[in-house]
Amino acid sequence: MSTASSGDPLVDLLMASLTRRKATGQVVSGEHAGREAARWMADAGVARAVLASDPVVDAIGLPDALRREGIDVIMWPTGLGKREAMGLEGPIDVCGVTVPALAVAERGTVVLEASEGHGRGLDVTSRHHVALLPTDRIVRTLGEALALTFADGRPAPSAVSLVSGPSRSSDIEKISTLGAHGALTEHVVIIR
Amino acid sequence: MSTRKRRGDGGVAYLDVQGTLRERTVDALRDRTLRGNLDSATTSWGESRDAMRSDYGLDEMRERAREIRRSNIRNLPALLSEMQAKVREAGGTVVRAVDGAEACRYITGLAQARGVKVVAKSKSMATEEIKLNEALEDARIEVVETDLGEWILQLASEHPSHIIAPAVHLNREQVAALFREEAGTDDVPDDREGLVAHARVRLREKFAEAGIGVSGVNLGVASTGTVCVLENEGNARLVTSQPRIHVAVMGMERVVADWDEAAHILQVLPMAAIGQDAANYVNLITGPRRDGEADGPEEFHLVIIDGGRGALRGTEFEEALSCIRCGACLYSCPMWRSVGGQAYGSPYSGPIGAVITPLLEGPSSPASRDLPFMSSLCGACGEACPVGIPLQDLLVRARARSSSPATRKSGMAFRAWSRLWRRPSTYRAWMAGWRLMLRARGKDGWATDLPGPGAGWTQVRDMPTRWPPRR
Repeated sequence: MSTASSGDPLVDLLMASLTRRKATGQVVSGEHAGREAARWMADAGVARAVLASDPVVDAIGLPDALRREGIDVIMWPTGLGKREAMGLEGPIDVCGVTVPALAVAERGTVVLEASEGHGRGLDVTSRHHVALLPTDRIVRTLGEALALTFADGRPAPSAVSLVSGPSRSSDIEKISTLGAHGALTEHVVIIR
Repeated sequence: MSTRKRRGDGGVAYLDVQGTLRERTVDALRDRTLRGNLDSATTSWGESRDAMRSDYGLDEMRERAREIRRSNIRNLPALLSEMQAKVREAGGTVVRAVDGAEACRYITGLAQARGVKVVAKSKSMATEEIKLNEALEDARIEVVETDLGEWILQLASEHPSHIIAPAVHLNREQVAALFREEAGTDDVPDDREGLVAHARVRLREKFAEAGIGVSGVNLGVASTGTVCVLENEGNARLVTSQPRIHVAVMGMERVVADWDEAAHILQVLPMAAIGQDAANYVNLITGPRRDGEADGPEEFHLVIIDGGRGALRGTEFEEALSCIRCGACLYSCPMWRSVGGQAYGSPYSGPIGAVITPLLEGPSSPASRDLPFMSSLCGACGEACPVGIPLQDLLVRARARSSSPATRKSGMAFRAWSRLWRRPSTYRAWMAGWRLMLRARGKDGWATDLPGPGAGWTQVRDMPTRWPPRR
């Protein structure tokens, strides 16, 4: 149930920025979000999904939707050994599923905060990265996002990652090549 | 794997560089592959950055960036104290190192105390400055550079040629050859995607082994004790999240007061560095992992290096401390564009490197005293600098401060000349002698082969023996 234009200027701006950053995005309603996210992963050839333990994941029924697509589901914390957690053992096509605290529309950035339910390496250790983003978490500028994340009186999270598109390197002949160390693909499911 | 160097003498420049600055420059100019690689790199940078100037008004953002950095440097002691207190509050350890040797001793000692055999690093110019890799290797600890460009250079036993894009001077075929040698197999692809995928797997093996991850710090935020590490590949996140211990190495000048300032600098930095509005990954780290968290380092150590920086505050070179190490002055410099970074013989090349390397080393260090002369003083660096450092002025001041036999000799000659011309009698005597000499040497009103200091002139042009000259 994705739509080309959402009617929300911030959502449209974020979609345009994600495209520019070589990420993809789709806007879906809450009732279809789980199914759409699972279908995207199945199409990408994902064999295993590692999910952040977050209310949003359950609210859209993602674990069941993934199992229906035949994808192995592991919740964070995974208890996997280090080599398997880094994709050196076990299935190669692993997808890290994150729930960003915020997103920056202007530059296509998702803001990931480390917590008990949300590993700081969830997206980079995997081959694919899917972010589940409720629309009310989108702000326009990086300044707004950082002001909210590090607001006075709120304890600073141990790790915050600003992720703007899939991993890339320009170290060989200055030409941008995707999939250096982190995820080769990034897909943002924007949930209305 | 990398070349051995002496250390512990406060040197910033590499100690294994061969030849004089002039010889290295001439060699670089003759290297056609290098020229081609530099041309394509600087051209694509220029195009991307021009887009940032029109899309985001990068030039207008510079004023605020300059004010922020100047005030940071003015308030440096207070900001560092606050940073230190906040990191400790978050459960981290802070070490203030007077020089590189002290920083290396601390990190090596930590590795030995924890029984660490492999250290994984993300790109950090500060660790190049303090020669950390050599210190760890001397202690029989394996060091692996995980940034793709840095790893390539480590395999080639070369030094980085650029603050941001280290392996810019090697092409695809050269990289493939290095990977084949490292892997001990010919089964390494030739195309860029294949090379990147190959490195991804090889380096993941290293991440799984490493007991310590060492990162640099682009920016420290005093109000929360957070270190910011910018990158595009994801290796810095792996370095800061996978090993049991994270050591962040920060030059003492890299601190801003709060998140309002940090937001501005974090936007300016990738625009100036790579002509993009965002780095792919920005890692904001506040202390080690908290109770209940399942990944992230158990220990976080922040090593803050003075290394001669503190002494620059309050001097005519203070603004050099504003630098955010974006590399824009390198790419814009006609000198750097022609010879690349290797010729400079210092981790810090280009205009900023020509200013700060001798400042950190002292004015008479043979390794760096000639660097301020690696400039045409065209001012392109000052124009490109996103934090408004007047680099061309600093280069002139650095020249005045430079002390070598050559500069002392020319200084003496100019002082003698100035004494002669200052008094009317000696000035007239000089000019009378000069006229006599011109007539004796000249033919048909023109002198074509003058002796002494005049020889340089007549090698390429003639000098009239009278004024106005004869046609």
